Amino acid sequence: MRKSLFIGIAAATIAVTALAGCSSARSGGDSSTKIAKGDTVGVSLPAKTSQNWVLAQQSFKSALTKAGFKADVQYAAANNTVSDQQNQIEAMITKGDKVIIIAAQDGSQLGTQVADAKKAGITVIAWDRNILNTKNVDYYVAFNNYLVGQLQGQALLDGMKAAHPDKTTFNIELFAGASTDANATVFFNGAMSVLKPKIDDGTLKVLSGQTTFQQVQTDNWDPKNSQARMSNLITSTYSNGAELDGVLSPNDTLGRSIITAIKAAGLPNPIVTGQDSETDSIPLIMEGIQYSTIYKNTDEEAQGAVKVVSALAAGKEPAGVDKNDKTNAYNGTITVPYVALKPILVTKANAVEAYANNPTLEALAKKG
Amino acid sequence: MSNKFTNAVRTLTGGRGISQYSMIIALVVIMIVFEILTGGLTLNQTNVINVVQQYSYIMILAIGMVMLIIAGHIDLSVGSVAAFVGIVVAKSMSDWHFPPAVAILLGLVVGAIVGAWQGFWVAFVRVPAFIVTLAGQLIFRGANQLVGQSSSQSTPNSYNWIGNGFLPDPNWGVPANLSTIILGVIVVVVLVFLEVRGRRRRVAMGASSRPLWTSVLKLVVLGAVTLYATYLFATGRVGTSFPVVGIIAGVLIVAYTFVTSNTIFGRQIYAVGGNAAAAVLSGVNSRRVNFFVMFNMGVLSAVAGMVFIGNATASGPFDGTGWELDAIAAVFVGGAAVAGGIGTVGGSIVGALVMAFLANGLSLLGVPSEWTSIIRGLVLLLAVAFDVYNKTQGRPSFTGALLRGLGIGRARAQGPAVTATAGPENPQKPSLS
Repeated sequence: MRKSLFIGIAAATIAVTALAGCSSARSGGDSSTKIAKGDTVGVSLPAKTSQNWVLAQQSFKSALTKAGFKADVQYAAANNTVSDQQNQIEAMITKGDKVIIIAAQDGSQLGTQVADAKKAGITVIAWDRNILNTKNVDYYVAFNNYLVGQLQGQALLDGMKAAHPDKTTFNIELFAGASTDANATVFFNGAMSVLKPKIDDGTLKVLSGQTTFQQVQTDNWDPKNSQARMSNLITSTYSNGAELDGVLSPNDTLGRSIITAIKAAGLPNPIVTGQDSETDSIPLIMEGIQYSTIYKNTDEEAQGAVKVVSALAAGKEPAGVDKNDKTNAYNGTITVPYVALKPILVTKANAVEAYANNPTLEALAKKG
Repeated sequence: MSNKFTNAVRTLTGGRGISQYSMIIALVVIMIVFEILTGGLTLNQTNVINVVQQYSYIMILAIGMVMLIIAGHIDLSVGSVAAFVGIVVAKSMSDWHFPPAVAILLGLVVGAIVGAWQGFWVAFVRVPAFIVTLAGQLIFRGANQLVGQSSSQSTPNSYNWIGNGFLPDPNWGVPANLSTIILGVIVVVVLVFLEVRGRRRRVAMGASSRPLWTSVLKLVVLGAVTLYATYLFATGRVGTSFPVVGIIAGVLIVAYTFVTSNTIFGRQIYAVGGNAAAAVLSGVNSRRVNFFVMFNMGVLSAVAGMVFIGNATASGPFDGTGWELDAIAAVFVGGAAVAGGIGTVGGSIVGALVMAFLANGLSLLGVPSEWTSIIRGLVLLLAVAFDVYNKTQGRPSFTGALLRGLGIGRARAQGPAVTATAGPENPQKPSLS
């Protein structure tokens, strides 16, 4: 018994050492390898659960092909998205992609994968969502999400003032995205930078008292959760005649679910913000039911990442990179070199001109 | 406690004491606790209506899920199937301009096809239901994304009525919703009728009848609860009453309770779940039973998906995520056994209500999401542990005792149908119930 136990332990030790030896055998410089035209660029997108991700694939494919690269665009599965994305990135490393553009489902869980990518000399670009707590990210290309939040907060104020010019105080409620999405916190902080001073000086009142991110976040960005929360807020706070003037909604999907809950309760329509310029929300904006949305042209965002790749392929430093933007690009370990794109606030007034380059959205705006 | 009191309680509860009602007690406790904590909001008219509208889809799923679990299977695909049917129905109305009635029919047909597909694999190819439905979860989630292109699709108001509509108000000058009051009165009358018929049957069979006071007490309690609920639903905001989705769920609950306790097919489900080999040797066609419970789950998933998108007024790519776990939690909180053979439809509904009022109460209190998650998990665990502790091995669940006393259900755990309940007067004698 004891002999077989000893043999077993010895065998296990040998096996473990061999495996350890295997994994550290991968050599490769820490610096990125040279990129050239015709190389494959891997794009790892999260789960295909909203319209803007669907558009992302098209944008990347056309932008990369036009720039002379091969595109390998993949979505993570709807189930077990985080592990699926991790596996896809590892597969892209193995396939030999020279650049990997990652739109993280959960930016804090890709540390191992980006470390492996850097070891293999691959350029890692974080797209739309930052990759957190690691030094192994080369660039971060995204719309200025803090600015998005600020635009939403300002739109809420402007909308309420325009709708009720004689009121001096307004009642608002706050909604935020999923706590697992780093961007959700940024949107909320941006909006609160505009709204908090007004809450503190009494112009804005949050009657439910729910103002912290954890209280107002929406699990998984699932509209079912925001609809239920809005219904419950109405039951608890707005059933006794209190008026709701505005709701801060971080995106269009949640905004529409909030509007549904308010309509079902028979309350008058408040000012509701949004983001993403979804095709279902633009008619609502033109009808005045939803007040605003944000236009983040996915094509432009994909172009931003591809421009970085093209510049690197040409041996030049990519243009428009801010290496010191701590507010937007600090990922917990380093301040990632940041390519900021400008989001556009869209309301009924400027919808047609804002969507001038986008035939689908322009048509919807013109119809309204 | 005095001997007389314990005997009285035993008589009332059919020989097993108050522990059989542990889950109903838990539900009442939760409702009272949150009523106090929220300052009266939990049993506020608007809130009760909201809870029914927001959670009916889980009750509908729980009905199908309990039958599956009794038969010894499980279904992990209900959320994905519901989402798939939802997007198909939404697209059919927006792209192909189907009228809502036709779209609903299409949804049921798609649900039936999915159920038949999964039933085929489980019943005839004998792949474990866990695997078939796990595959189904992946397949139909993908199908949902394929059909819907991962975008939301809004649904017209004429359709949304099944999810967020209410009973009409004939407006005969009564200061409350008359249709709901009529509904409540009908329910009370039915309860009285069933209890009277149950007593008459026992006399006709020659069994010793229960003391009159047990029947009267049961009717008084159930009647009071029904009338209070009617009052709550009828006196809500003008234009609201008992939600249509609640009626749909209610009809399904009554129908399936009848099927599971009073029809041969229902008894066969218990037989197959309790001991599949013995059931087959007794002449039960287990293949047919397995096929039909899976088929039934497909149809019920379709119904749940359709009422959900009616309430949300749109079908979206997030629909269905996590629904299977909510339904399974409701079923197990309601007293089903993991091994199969035990469980009732009524029990799962009570389980669903426990989870619903808990989530609703935490939301009204504004509890942050991480605490909500922890609390819901702990309550789920403790509720089932409490129920398991109270139940003796192999006994049917609590509401079986309640419904049996009313003459509706004879939910039994083991073996073929029993037509007579042993008299509870002598608790020492092992009863066949």
